Amino acid sequence: MEERPTSVWGSTRFWRKSAGWVTGVSALLLIWLSADTVPQISMRSAEDLDAGKPMRVPPPTVINHKITYEFDARRGHEIPIIGEKEAFFGRNDYSEEEANALLTHGKLTVQAKNCMSCHTLLGNGGYYAPDLTKAWLDPAWSDQGPYMAMTGTTSREEAMAKFLMKPSTYPTHARRMPELGITEDEAKAVVAFLKHMASIDTNGFPRNFAKINGGVNAK
Amino acid sequence: MIDPFTDVFPSFFGMLNRGPMTLTIFLHSLIVLPMFFIYFSEKKKLQRGEPDD
Amino acid sequence: MLSKYSEVKWESQKLAINYFRVAIILFLANLLFGLLAAIQYLYPNFLFEIIDFSINRTLHINALVVWLLYAMIGAVYWMLPEETGIETVGIGLGKLLFYILTAAIAVVVLVFLLIQVGAGDIKSIWLINEGREYLEAPRWADIGIVVVVLGFLANVFLTAFKGRRTGILTVLMFDLLALAGLYLAGMFFTKNISMDQFWWWWVIHLWVEATWEVYVAAVVGWGLIKTLGANRKIVEMWIWIELAMLFGSGILGLGHHYFWIGTPEYWWEIGALFSALEPVPLIGMFVHVIYDWGKQAGKQHEINNKPAFAWFVVNTFGNFLGAGVWGFMHTLPQINIYTHGTQWTPAHGHLAFYGAYAAILIGMMYIVVQGKYGIRQMRFTAAGKWGISLLTIGLIGMTMALTIAGYQQSMIERAEFGSTWAGYFAAQNSHWMLQAMGWRLAMGVVTMLGFVFLFKDLLTIGPKLKAEEAAGSTANANAPAGAAATA
Repeated sequence: MEERPTSVWGSTRFWRKSAGWVTGVSALLLIWLSADTVPQISMRSAEDLDAGKPMRVPPPTVINHKITYEFDARRGHEIPIIGEKEAFFGRNDYSEEEANALLTHGKLTVQAKNCMSCHTLLGNGGYYAPDLTKAWLDPAWSDQGPYMAMTGTTSREEAMAKFLMKPSTYPTHARRMPELGITEDEAKAVVAFLKHMASIDTNGFPRNFAKINGGVNAK
Repeated sequence: MIDPFTDVFPSFFGMLNRGPMTLTIFLHSLIVLPMFFIYFSEKKKLQRGEPDD
Repeated sequence: MLSKYSEVKWESQKLAINYFRVAIILFLANLLFGLLAAIQYLYPNFLFEIIDFSINRTLHINALVVWLLYAMIGAVYWMLPEETGIETVGIGLGKLLFYILTAAIAVVVLVFLLIQVGAGDIKSIWLINEGREYLEAPRWADIGIVVVVLGFLANVFLTAFKGRRTGILTVLMFDLLALAGLYLAGMFFTKNISMDQFWWWWVIHLWVEATWEVYVAAVVGWGLIKTLGANRKIVEMWIWIELAMLFGSGILGLGHHYFWIGTPEYWWEIGALFSALEPVPLIGMFVHVIYDWGKQAGKQHEINNKPAFAWFVVNTFGNFLGAGVWGFMHTLPQINIYTHGTQWTPAHGHLAFYGAYAAILIGMMYIVVQGKYGIRQMRFTAAGKWGISLLTIGLIGMTMALTIAGYQQSMIERAEFGSTWAGYFAAQNSHWMLQAMGWRLAMGVVTMLGFVFLFKDLLTIGPKLKAEEAAGSTANANAPAGAAATA
């Protein structure tokens, strides 16, 4: 057979086949990767939590526990640590069912009030208000911060719930959060959602959270 | 050169991720290497005189 | 574009004009609510508890997505009869779906404006607001959108199978099918925020960084044939190359959204290395347009639609700069841990959406005007020049301002203050942030001015150039080219 001078690089068919291959195999790889990731980010069971098993997304009953965010030398970044039992609105014995209902109600409220249009959740959303990924752990809501005193409460969860119900009556900055008609039940549920979100392993995001108290002349 | 596995859950991709760029090289190879086959089979077709479309 | 006069003979193209009419109105809404939100950054009491920032931003980004989708559908209905050589199959259904979709969108906008938020139950998700950025449309509207898009797809597929199925159409069919299918990944509720965002990114990322980009590659290719007389065979080969590069980098580039949402650490490497390749096809598109331009210029072939072609050039340049460069600047996880969730994202988003999508679709609007009035040679009018210049200056200006805001937010809030509530406000109240937001607002006003010129031009350029060509041809009644074109 005679050799003809040919250029495959100028062949439409070559590129069409390549495009088909690249797209198909990339899509399959993405599906494979997703099949690997989805079980890892599924919520664990309450038994796994009690047994102290490792997890990325803890079950709703994590609200019965103290959560901290500590540097982990092995991972090379901070990770949430689920500690001993801690009262949440005066109780530390929420059943799986109760905690589940609370978290579901909280997530629904977060969507119905469109929180994500101003705030970021896990870093995604609007940039008009603080990131809520680790808001549960924020010093602003501790006894060191302004909100407990302003709302006349003695715990984080109560301060947060009271603020959420009447946000513009507790202004700390010119930019205020508007009234969104959040009821007491909704407010408690949203706080449960925030506490749960703080317990998710986000690979060290945000870095150095609350470890630094402010830079030099930042204003 | 091979990092210890530190992620929360062990998995195939997590294990591949321990070497220097091994995960990326694996994924890119799956995508790119078969294109050589497409290239040479197209070259043969063109040399046989089959028209491009 | 509003007048009744029309030389369009295909029903499909008449429907396309309707889609573009709604698109330009929504483009105005997009800019208007953006301006209100920009004012609120500087004057937080402005419209406080009347139309809050969250409402303005929701309308800002949803009007954007919807006007782009309208113009995208419009562009396909415009191209379809010219590519296939036949009238679009099911055009009656197409028209009906247009009115249904437009009515549904009007209801959604009114609900966003007047009802705003609902109680924390599933009813609100179905009727008022889904509360997931970009996918705020309530569930009933989601389902409506899926039905309308399925009807649109059926029309495209049936027409392409019945008529001439070109390479460009083949790419578009494949791409639109993927685009529509992906929307389904965003239609479920879960209490698990990590899972929620995992699938949410399937829709958002695989739209704007994969399927929409391929759509643009196909439409740019079609536009080059139309405006420059570029060689179809070469254009179609380029589209396949671009498709391979866009999907090859973009599909697994999704990994750059999976760094910090609870997903495994291996996504760091996948996201970093695949998304680092995402600018490559965008350079390819840029080279393609400029190369074809130079090649055709050598043949003394005149560009028959200068404003459209100028918008194509803005598209390739803006796409590469906004989507490619600005995206790459914060895509590596080592940087992204400080920039994720800061003003970096809107800096990238503004230039990318304008460059990659708005510009190409505005270019298509000029092609539609040309076809509607049967103009042989579209030249730039003064208003058209002001429009393209002010819009581009405005967008680049906003991008620069937001980039500075992003830099300082990363440094102050994230690095200096360790990301706390106090750190957030320290960054927001810093002198540099306020200055950047001031410039952003000023540049937003420039953008709006640019829109006013563009709008005026799209309404008036057709009749104006038509009259000029008619006058020119009666003056040179013997000139065969002019006479033939207006006959």
